[in-house]
Amino acid sequence: MFFIRRFIVRLGSMVATLAVMSFLIFFLVELMPGDVAQMVLGQNSTPEGLASLRESMGLNDPFLVRYWRWFSGLLQGDLGESLYMRGVAINSILWRKVGHSLVLAITALLFYVPLSIFFGVVAGVRAGKLSDQIISFFGLATMALPEFVSGVLFITLFSVKLKILPITSVIPIGESLWGNLNILILPALSITIVMFGYVSRMQRSSMIQVMDSDYVRAATLKGLPRRYVIFRHALKNALLPTITIIGMNMGWLFGGLIVVETLFGFPGLGSLTMSAIKTRDVPLIEACVLFITFIFVVSTLITDTLYGVLNPRVRLAKGVD
Amino acid sequence: MRRILHDLKSNPLAIAGFAVLFLWIFLALAGPSLMNFTYTEMDTQNQIAPPGTGGHLLGTDALGRDLLARIVTGSRSILTVALFTSFFSTAAGIIIGFSAGYFGGLVDKIFLRILDVLMSIPALVLAMVILGVLGDSTIMSLTLMISIAYIPATARVARGTLLTHKGREYVDAARIMGENNFSIMFRQILPNTLGPIIVEATARFAYSIMMVASLGFLGVGLQPPTPDWGMMVIENKQIISVAPWSVLYPALAIASLVIAISLISDFFSKVLIHES
Repeated sequence: MFFIRRFIVRLGSMVATLAVMSFLIFFLVELMPGDVAQMVLGQNSTPEGLASLRESMGLNDPFLVRYWRWFSGLLQGDLGESLYMRGVAINSILWRKVGHSLVLAITALLFYVPLSIFFGVVAGVRAGKLSDQIISFFGLATMALPEFVSGVLFITLFSVKLKILPITSVIPIGESLWGNLNILILPALSITIVMFGYVSRMQRSSMIQVMDSDYVRAATLKGLPRRYVIFRHALKNALLPTITIIGMNMGWLFGGLIVVETLFGFPGLGSLTMSAIKTRDVPLIEACVLFITFIFVVSTLITDTLYGVLNPRVRLAKGVD
Repeated sequence: MRRILHDLKSNPLAIAGFAVLFLWIFLALAGPSLMNFTYTEMDTQNQIAPPGTGGHLLGTDALGRDLLARIVTGSRSILTVALFTSFFSTAAGIIIGFSAGYFGGLVDKIFLRILDVLMSIPALVLAMVILGVLGDSTIMSLTLMISIAYIPATARVARGTLLTHKGREYVDAARIMGENNFSIMFRQILPNTLGPIIVEATARFAYSIMMVASLGFLGVGLQPPTPDWGMMVIENKQIISVAPWSVLYPALAIASLVIAISLISDFFSKVLIHES
């Protein structure tokens, strides 16, 4: 019961965050210089044409009225129409790209989660030894490295020198992502490099902490094999902070996707956001940025809930929020 | 200070970090005048020249511009923006985070709610949208935007640091002596929390380099002809199969600077936080 109440409170704060965010995004994009009607009609527009278009698009209405029209559209699942691609519903563009990005994000997760946890455990168990120093240095070095830097290194190695993977990750016209899965490898690797630093460092420090605890020492003294102690006893508890970090970094992952998708020309949410900003496609920018926020907020909610489920101290601490 | 220098001697990685950082600062200050070419000069005889040909140590790009000159000149803007960004975002973070943590109660609750909302959008996306809104970026607008995008993170750290000191005896003593809140926060607590704050500022420096490079890469950074490391990477990506060096060297420049600063920040966190 306590659990459900906690979840509902979280859900409520998530909806509130999204609502505030939608207002902020709408307000920000509203400040963009340039006249939307002018942009739609282009060079050969007449003042009368502009005026009537503004009227029909409702651009003359007060700010709050326009916001409410947009927001109530959102609630009914209507994201509006693109300006740049005149008359095309955003719903028909956005979701396919989001699908591509999700596949890329999941591929990246499949790469970096096991890798970073494994190396984090190794570094934590051998804290201070050479293998730990190498892993820790690597994690530190890559933590603030922009995704495109590692991406460029991978392209030079795998595409230019070895010629085994494509330089760009474009999906040929008429084909689907599923027939071209090899285009996912380099972008996913580039993300892996950056996320590795966070996750492995977190895993290392929580591993060190757990290995030092009484129950692990008791298991070792009982004569259990070291491997068994590490993976059966210690890792179970040492995974909790790592799971939190992975969940909390989902927003970061989607920010990084913009960079990676631009580098590789991958047709996902990131490159869509980028081209929307370049073409000043106001409704499309709003939809993309709001969706990225949505991903972040939802993954935070899932992380929180999962943390509660996995951690008996949270699960049993009734009445404490 | 003496202790820091002493610790530095036994930490070769941190020494390397400082060496690389000072090298870049030196190049940024004196480099462009030492170069054989200016960063806009187009050597039409040597387009896409590999490193070493025609006096171009690192080769040229598609327009025949000297890569070394462009990279060295590009270090000026990225270092300037990143330095000011880490300073401003940390300073603003201290003021906001300290006030929230110090006064607590409702102020703190509101502060945390605002943070939740602001942190739900990746800093890169936030900076990108605002810079897109503002139009052509300048050093000023870039610095301002990245600082704003980072304030939630620095404020959260500052608040956390203050909370660990709030209940200490010296703070109570100052209060009993009749010092006002402002003086307690900034004359008493701030000097005692300098360690974590320096660590945060250095880490912010590395992230700012990353952010400037990424924004340049995405085309919302400084406008041409100012050479920008991130922009050079995306510009030259079209010729990567014939001229991999034109992409590789700017990327390595970014990597060297970021890694150097990360090593320094790690050193500070070992010396200033864990050992005190």
